[in-house]
Amino acid sequence: MTRSRLAVLVSMIVVALGVVAGLSALWLNQARAAVGPLPAEALVLPADARFVMGFDVKRFTASPFYARYASERGMQPESLRDLEEKTGLNPARDLDQIVIAGTPDVRRGSPGLALALGRFDLYKIGRTLETEGKVAGHNVDGVSVYVFKGKDGEPGSVALAFLDESALLFGPRSQVEAAVASRTRGEAPLKKNTVLLGLVEKVRPGSTFWMVGDQSLLAGMPTSIPAPGSSGDGATITLPALKSLTVTGDLDPQVSLAITGEAADELAAKNLADVVRGFVALMSLQAQQRPELQRLASAVSVATETNHVLVTARVPYELLDALQARTKTTPAPTK
Amino acid sequence: MRDTSRPVPFAAAARAVFDLSLEGMVWTLRSLLLALLVWAPAAFAIGYRVYNAGKSAAPPISGPDFYALIVAVYWIRNVLPLAALFYATSLVADEVEGRTLTYLVTRPLTRGSIFAGKFAAYLATTLTLALPAGVLTFFVLQSARGWSAVGPSVGDLFRDLGVMVLTLVAYGAFFALLGVLLKRPVIPGLLFLYGWELMANLPGYLPRFTLTAWLRSLVHHRPAEEGLGGLFQQVLPAGPGLAVLIGASAVFLAGAAWIFSTREYVLEQ
Repeated sequence: MTRSRLAVLVSMIVVALGVVAGLSALWLNQARAAVGPLPAEALVLPADARFVMGFDVKRFTASPFYARYASERGMQPESLRDLEEKTGLNPARDLDQIVIAGTPDVRRGSPGLALALGRFDLYKIGRTLETEGKVAGHNVDGVSVYVFKGKDGEPGSVALAFLDESALLFGPRSQVEAAVASRTRGEAPLKKNTVLLGLVEKVRPGSTFWMVGDQSLLAGMPTSIPAPGSSGDGATITLPALKSLTVTGDLDPQVSLAITGEAADELAAKNLADVVRGFVALMSLQAQQRPELQRLASAVSVATETNHVLVTARVPYELLDALQARTKTTPAPTK
Repeated sequence: MRDTSRPVPFAAAARAVFDLSLEGMVWTLRSLLLALLVWAPAAFAIGYRVYNAGKSAAPPISGPDFYALIVAVYWIRNVLPLAALFYATSLVADEVEGRTLTYLVTRPLTRGSIFAGKFAAYLATTLTLALPAGVLTFFVLQSARGWSAVGPSVGDLFRDLGVMVLTLVAYGAFFALLGVLLKRPVIPGLLFLYGWELMANLPGYLPRFTLTAWLRSLVHHRPAEEGLGGLFQQVLPAGPGLAVLIGASAVFLAGAAWIFSTREYVLEQ
């Protein structure tokens, strides 16, 4: 064999080994996950969910975002905060992943039904909850369901159930009990929601957080927004309706967002992309008063792919700090 | 006993030319320089991991983002087209300049088989340089967030390797055509790469007339861009993209083979 053929052969062997290693990693990953980033346990979530979102809690709590903003309300998932307050679980230590499903019948302000995966000392947590008198426990199909008491001491509408030592459900009582019953019967209700699952399948596993929403979630979004400089004549910009929305993001080493919106057709996608580009351009125009807006505009890019709009943003934490500092130091307008 | 009144069968002739050309392509200074260019990201990736290994502060760019930048910007838009330019334009030109073309065309080989063998050797050489670099860089950078992050990204590895192959094929075919058409194809090739291909950054239908716009649309990596590229970034559909690239490559190769087959080469004395 000539030297050249040997070089080609060695190169192809390296590539083949890489492909085999990649396939092995993929197979191991699929053995753990059910649909895209969604774990198998999450298939007990309700079939009528309008959106599903997931957090890699380990990455979230290790990120600079958590270190900076964890104490501020609204900067971490409500479910995570509620879980921490009610059960004493430490997200950084005890939780690996949390998946939340929002359904139409959930009351406003409620975060929806959450599935948390991690490591739970069932006996210790159960004793703590019962001893502190925060819950009233009952049995649903062999699973203990703890209903949190309201301020009046009566069982409220929020419940917690441990599926096993590594998975718990938390959220509206009726939904927790329904999910527990589904699991006991071996059902996977979320599999019936083919639209949402189709969106989840396209989500890239490995993101710190992700969210998919179908048309029913987006039906509540405004269909028009005021046009810039339109205070007098009431001119508006009509927003093309979206059929679905997918958001994925990472928080380390910067805040990275990728938003994909599915429009009705290619023209609607182009129109929506133009609207977003217009807002980005408006941010740039404000650069003289607020230079950080110019940087923010540079961090955002908009593209279209047939009937999809792709918006990506990569925002360094220094820029977020600058934007926040500006907001805090801007004096309130005087009358 | 072979019928000497007929040329050597196409496959056997192409294979012989392939072996001969491969020897002359792989172990050359040109290959060494291009290997340095192609493998530079792999070296930077290893340096990135080593440098950040003991540090508690997060690096300014994550491993996957760095990988995306290398694939989408460095390899597909710059280095691989340049590799195609310097190899493919000289497939025939080297033989003409070295005055060895006469010996080649006076063999009982069809010119088409000579061209096929040489183009195959170009592909083997460039893929030998590029694909292992891609594989190594992928594993080094994607594993920066732990081995659990590698599995979900493996689809990207296969896609990226495929697009790298397609880049070398498409640009190689075009520059091979340029090489048989023009006496000095390198400057027009550079003008094509850094002039015509910039149309990919323009709005509307103009990007469809470039190779790079279709190639960029095939990868999933979309690094943030400023300027025209960021403002008018559009992703072309993948299915038609594959068809356009394969079709264009076939047309360029067929054209180059036909021109090489019919052209009379007069070597300078």
